[in-house]
Amino acid sequence: MQIQTVNDDNHRSESKNTFLRAAGIFLLLMLLSLGMSHPLQAQQYDILLKGGHVMDSKNSINQVMDVAVTGDRISRVARNIPASQAEQVIDVRGLYVVPGLVDIHTHVFFGTDQDRYLSNSYYAVKPDSYSFKYGVTTMVDVGGAGWKNYETFKAQTIDNSATRVLSFLNIIGEGMKGGHFEQNLNDMDPVMTGMIARQNDWVVGIKIAHYRGHDWEPIERLVEAGERGGVPVMVDFGSANPPLSIETLVLEKLRPGDIYTHMYGGGGSGREAVLDDNGTLRPGILQAQERGVIFDVGHGGASFRWPIVMPAYEQGLVPDVISTDLHQGSSNAGMRNMLNVMSKFINMGMSLEDVIHASTWKPSQVIQREELGHLSEGAEADIAVLGMREGEFGFVDVRPPGNKLTGKYKLEAEMTLRAGRIMWDLNGLSASEEWRNQ
Amino acid sequence: MNRNQMNEQIMKQLNKAGVANTSQPTKRRTVGQRVRRWTGLMMALVLFPLAMQAQQIDLLIKGGHVVDPKNGINQTMDVAVIDGKIAEVSRSIDANRARRVADAEGLYVVPGLIDMHTHIFFGTEEVGYSGFEINNSFGSVRPDAFAFRTGVTTMVDAGSSGWRDLPTFRKQTVEESRARILAFVSIAEDGMLGSVHSNYLDGMQPDATAFMINENDDFVVGIKAHHYRGDDFGPVERAVEAGNLAGVPVMVDFGGHQPPLSLETLLMEKLRPGDILTHTHFGSSSRQGAIDESGNLRDFILPAQDRGIIFDVGHGAGGFQWDQAIPGSRQGFWPNTISTDLYRNSMNAGMKNLNNVMSKFLAIGMSLEDVIERVTWKPAQVLQREELGHLSVGAEADIAVLQKHEGSFGFLDARGQRVEGDEKLETELTVRAGRIVYDLNGISAPDWVEPTWDE
Repeated sequence: MQIQTVNDDNHRSESKNTFLRAAGIFLLLMLLSLGMSHPLQAQQYDILLKGGHVMDSKNSINQVMDVAVTGDRISRVARNIPASQAEQVIDVRGLYVVPGLVDIHTHVFFGTDQDRYLSNSYYAVKPDSYSFKYGVTTMVDVGGAGWKNYETFKAQTIDNSATRVLSFLNIIGEGMKGGHFEQNLNDMDPVMTGMIARQNDWVVGIKIAHYRGHDWEPIERLVEAGERGGVPVMVDFGSANPPLSIETLVLEKLRPGDIYTHMYGGGGSGREAVLDDNGTLRPGILQAQERGVIFDVGHGGASFRWPIVMPAYEQGLVPDVISTDLHQGSSNAGMRNMLNVMSKFINMGMSLEDVIHASTWKPSQVIQREELGHLSEGAEADIAVLGMREGEFGFVDVRPPGNKLTGKYKLEAEMTLRAGRIMWDLNGLSASEEWRNQ
Repeated sequence: MNRNQMNEQIMKQLNKAGVANTSQPTKRRTVGQRVRRWTGLMMALVLFPLAMQAQQIDLLIKGGHVVDPKNGINQTMDVAVIDGKIAEVSRSIDANRARRVADAEGLYVVPGLIDMHTHIFFGTEEVGYSGFEINNSFGSVRPDAFAFRTGVTTMVDAGSSGWRDLPTFRKQTVEESRARILAFVSIAEDGMLGSVHSNYLDGMQPDATAFMINENDDFVVGIKAHHYRGDDFGPVERAVEAGNLAGVPVMVDFGGHQPPLSLETLLMEKLRPGDILTHTHFGSSSRQGAIDESGNLRDFILPAQDRGIIFDVGHGAGGFQWDQAIPGSRQGFWPNTISTDLYRNSMNAGMKNLNNVMSKFLAIGMSLEDVIERVTWKPAQVLQREELGHLSVGAEADIAVLQKHEGSFGFLDARGQRVEGDEKLETELTVRAGRIVYDLNGISAPDWVEPTWDE
């Protein structure tokens, strides 16, 4: 174990090489003189992902590179790392090697309270059923729990998931229990919510959703909670009659770094879309994006309609962050999973590099978790190995039947590592051996 | 004998005094019931001709290759659905009659798949015993996260719950899932709560188990014996006794013991025709597999299959080995039913999902028709639910539309050994009781069109 650590440092800093070599010889002599038999030939790396195309926007890497993992960390990213230095070599030629995907809009506070929507109830899903098989290693629950039941969320979801789970607390103390629970202004306590956010490092933001009222008070309390907690806020803009102005929200109420989710949603009677009635992108939207308001996809069951998505995208509204709004309903509808949502943007014309950026490093910055979303040496080894299928694929927007866009590309997760462990291996690239007849 | 009569007998056995009130009140319809009955009949007479004329098809699955083993169909056919039921299966049905058409050209249209070995008693109870956290806890999965996306419309829980927990299982799993849920109840009163419960013979009560099966016969279809480490057949015998009392089959996970118990005794003496051995392709030093240490199929396996023992795959995280499955197939031994043993430890491992397990059997030479039969009509028969697993006119419209991809695929077993295959099944469309619940590439969806904006 000790030897491994020495080797680890060895390649992390080239300038230390000479010193370490000398130290190594000294150590060797020491060990021999002590008559100990250590595995001196121990491999430097546990896993070597060899020959894949690495995309790591934080480190500006977009080329074929090898990635080595030791223990739970990335230990080296370089061209042509010798296979002999690794315990296990996995051939990932023809595949993309990217940081483990970070989905910042999910609902994973599953539980058995009847009719309590996304807060400890059945409409929320279990993270591990939807994460690794789609390359996701971090899921952020947005608003399932509030300050009154965050401990249950921690015990049930976070502590029982192999996926890394983080949370936006709901500004509603009781969390996202649906319907009338989410209208209760008396349960929106910025002091308590902000305090719990500050005390728990897995709380990375504050959320509001589904409020129905022509009233800015909830948004103001939300932002106050964000201020107190030192975290960003995320707004599901609910509905009002008449609708509140989306431009007022993103230009005046939200701070740079705050998040407008369901960015392609609205357009019905209660909520303004980013497009006006003539199909023109409202001028305040791009201004807000420039001032640092984050536009998040939050696909969900009904927040991604091609007739809004396509004109808005073509007029220049590109998402800062790609996310799913995963829940029971969206998981079998047009949304389905993170890779499906990412594939939609690829087929709309967004570059793969930008799509990966919006699903890894950008969301990590947005939730102030800059240790995530990249493949820097020393970072926790959360890695997705993706294949790009080519063919004819249909991409449905909302619940069946919906409408579809036909495209040529679709991402698929070949392999997913979480903290250095292989959690998913679609085609057995890591197989110990081929089966052979004895 | 109906279920009520069965339970009266069981009650008599339970309270040894045998005193039970057997007098049944005679059933008489109330005036209200009679009025409603006649009104219904009159309405039907009036509406019948209208219905005959309308005949609009709710969903037409057009141009697909239908594989329906029960009805001996294996050719290109159209399938029409009306009011949640299969209305017509024939060579060409006019698309103009349909409100919605799914284009299934180049795809396989099959009965909704039945996965008869899963663990779906999810819950949030912290379990203080060693085991798999399968009973009302975190090791079980939510059915709807896996069912429709893999063409499965019926999931069968294999013994996660014992008779004591059946009401909780009903409330949390059966009533909160969109997939059809059936279950084998464990012979252990607390199901798979922990290893100790699977080995506690005094907690295995045939009477109580059969009683609860009869009370929950809308979803309970059998009894499971599992994970026993003793040197006797106690749990199997008690499960069979309960199976006789309730008239349902028994599924056995054969546990383990050093030296191993005789698989021959289990299959040829203890189990009845129609009973099920699961984890068929597993063998170890403490459990005999169908293939012996020299790679030969044990001589009693095919005779056991002939006498009606059902061999179920039950893949799981550790229950499927290529070195059992492949030599078996080469010596003429194939499983009767294909199932997943879906739970937390298998869902992201070599098992993955039912389509993947089905594809493994394609890879080792089973024909597509044989694979489909083993996940539709065969399990329906084994479960004594013959209303399921086929596309007969009048049947509830549970349908899966599958794509068979060609390419180069790898399939892992439980030990990390890999087999190459050149075909892989993927679910394109799933219909449950006539409703489209999953449509991967939008084969039933129109293309989007640019809206006409107000000027």
